[in-house]
Amino acid sequence: MKNRLKIERAILDLTQDELANKIGVSRQTISSIEKNKYVPSTVLALRLSLLFDKPVNDFFELEDSEMPMANNV
Amino acid sequence: MNVKSFMECERKSLEKMKRYQLPNRFKKIGIGIIIISLVTFFVNKFSIENIDLKLTAKYGILVGLLLVSISKEKIEDELMTSLRMQSYTFAFIAGVIITLLTNPLFNYIANIISQKQQENFQEVGDWEILWILLSVQVFYFEFLKRMNK
Repeated sequence: MKNRLKIERAILDLTQDELANKIGVSRQTISSIEKNKYVPSTVLALRLSLLFDKPVNDFFELEDSEMPMANNV
Repeated sequence: MNVKSFMECERKSLEKMKRYQLPNRFKKIGIGIIIISLVTFFVNKFSIENIDLKLTAKYGILVGLLLVSISKEKIEDELMTSLRMQSYTFAFIAGVIITLLTNPLFNYIANIISQKQQENFQEVGDWEILWILLSVQVFYFEFLKRMNK
């Protein structure tokens, strides 16, 4: 899954540490999400959505291979 | 289901997983127990040779490892929960493989060195199995944490 977390964080002028404190996780978690090493839970994605005031789809995007029923459509 | 009730539902399921965990300070207590037990074990092995003391030290190491294994991190979030689950899975698989493969191998090497023919391999004891499982889990969890920095 691709994400634009780093860009959204830069728009709000937040460091990884500040963003982590705002949504109640560790800085390591933010770093892992930005590096695409970890896919966050729905709860965390919705918390980010509330903070960025944008729908989740605006900063998380499925890769082509992850599209539902990609082979059947 | 609206967004808030969905978030509440998922948060509750995450909270359930954290219920069996101990506060972070128990990690230091666990490390302390491991160190004391290891020192006692080796002192006993090379000088005192008391069976009760050996048993106490062995179980002390297990209790220490268990405390380290189930203690929370300073910030125990969903990434830590995910890494913890990965480490338990890895420890279970590695524990079974190590138990199945290494014990006969060590027995075979010991037989070659001692030049004695032993018909039956020695069984792996409960202490060894638990020690392998907990050690692999604790070290693999630390490894995963460093990999995700």
